[in-house]
Amino acid sequence: MSKLTVIHPGIFTTIQDSGRFGFGKYGVPVSGAMDIESFKLANQLVGNPHHYPVLECTLQGGAYRFGSDTMIAITGAEMSPAINGKPIEVNCAHRVSKGDELILGFAEKGCRSYLAIHGLLQADRVMDSYSTYTLAGFGGYAGRALKKNDILTWEPTATVEFRTEILKTIDLDKVHSVKVTLGTEWKWLDKEVQEQFFDSNFKVMNQSNRMGIRLDGHALKSPDQQMISSPVIPGIIQLPENGKPIILMKDGQTIGGYPRIAKVVDDDLWKLAQLKPGNSLSFRKVM
Amino acid sequence: MMSKLLQLNQENWKISQLGECAVLMELEEESYQTTKVREVLNVIESTSINHLIDVIPGYYSVALLFKKPVNLHSVIELLTVINWTEKKDSQSQKYEVPVCYDLGLDWAEVEDFTQIEKAQVVETHSSQVYTVAMMGFVPGFIFLDGLDSSLACPRKSSPRTSIPKGSVGIGGQQTGIYSLESPGGWQIIGRTPLSFFDVESNPPIKLKPGDELAFKAISKKAFDHFGNDE
Repeated sequence: MSKLTVIHPGIFTTIQDSGRFGFGKYGVPVSGAMDIESFKLANQLVGNPHHYPVLECTLQGGAYRFGSDTMIAITGAEMSPAINGKPIEVNCAHRVSKGDELILGFAEKGCRSYLAIHGLLQADRVMDSYSTYTLAGFGGYAGRALKKNDILTWEPTATVEFRTEILKTIDLDKVHSVKVTLGTEWKWLDKEVQEQFFDSNFKVMNQSNRMGIRLDGHALKSPDQQMISSPVIPGIIQLPENGKPIILMKDGQTIGGYPRIAKVVDDDLWKLAQLKPGNSLSFRKVM
Repeated sequence: MMSKLLQLNQENWKISQLGECAVLMELEEESYQTTKVREVLNVIESTSINHLIDVIPGYYSVALLFKKPVNLHSVIELLTVINWTEKKDSQSQKYEVPVCYDLGLDWAEVEDFTQIEKAQVVETHSSQVYTVAMMGFVPGFIFLDGLDSSLACPRKSSPRTSIPKGSVGIGGQQTGIYSLESPGGWQIIGRTPLSFFDVESNPPIKLKPGDELAFKAISKKAFDHFGNDE
């Protein structure tokens, strides 16, 4: 069995795959990689099936010592990756040897990096998914974020051709504006509030995480009408009484009690995954 | 926001797109109507619909989640050809749930809000039969219908970051069970030693909407020794 040791876990590093589908009726969120584009690219670069589990690193990547020769790729946020102190390209496959140390620093651009290793990571498979859901403590590595001295193992799969080209699928400069469709309770908002929503430049708050992106800005007047708890999905923008919108993300709840004013289109969800606290965000209407 | 009215099972349902891969069915009246929601849920779950991967019930709505993007018109067409008249009520189960009310965390607040003493709250709460309305917002949270209106309590102004597994609470007109340790804002009046949610099982929870549930008061000693007799 091939392995690596966590020397430093970064700020919040978890194992994620494409998600856990079909269990929303039991209150279980989909989870899975926040930036699905970078996730798929990472697997593609190392020759894995596109749904294989990878490491999702948030804001700071951490340090890892490889106990086996393998092939890796890093995609998503730019965290100045280096092997044995020598900088390496992102969005590109790299060979690593036994004893090599990989370091991922702070995210200079973007928020989440994906580290794929050629082969199948050994992790807890719960309800058909390897994704870590830390709130309830299941899936991935013991249901939690990685810690120092954790050892990850993987099953090497058939060798694939080593490709050296750099593949770029996302543009980290274009994450500050996302397309939305109008939500079920959009009509509850006053006309001025509706205009304000599209004219505003919101700021991503520190409390944002895999459950939701919380936005600050000129507070939007929430509707007087009381909402009865109803189903919600990732991408839905809820407006709580304090007037600060919350965009539900991959670990978001399945039932929500706030008006669903809009929904970020699925194709733009990856952008939200790459927003750091303090970044700006605005909305554009489609359809 | 495009939506269409559809009459199904003698009720008017508003059908709209919740997301590219999700469709929302809502009863016209936004109120607690879990029986009607359950009837629709049962029919949909017993019908094979292409690419449908999840069905999430709410109090007056049902979300249909698909594996890939869907067109509202084709889903509406699909819903109109389903046979809604056929009764598909799945067999509802009855459960007795032991609760140690002495492990409640918010008795002072509950007594204050309801103006009813703890002993009477326990008596009333444990003498009703409740119906499972739905599960969510977090894994295994069980929403129950049937709370006596005298026991209604507002949620805590500041939610707790962690509520112990098995906690039984009151939130507004509802009562419910936190199957797993999780954050939450309901007033906690007791704890059950029963474990409802098992991540290793599929489905992870045996209860389903429509099942009936009654609480039985037990002592702290019985709670601590629960399961030791077998």
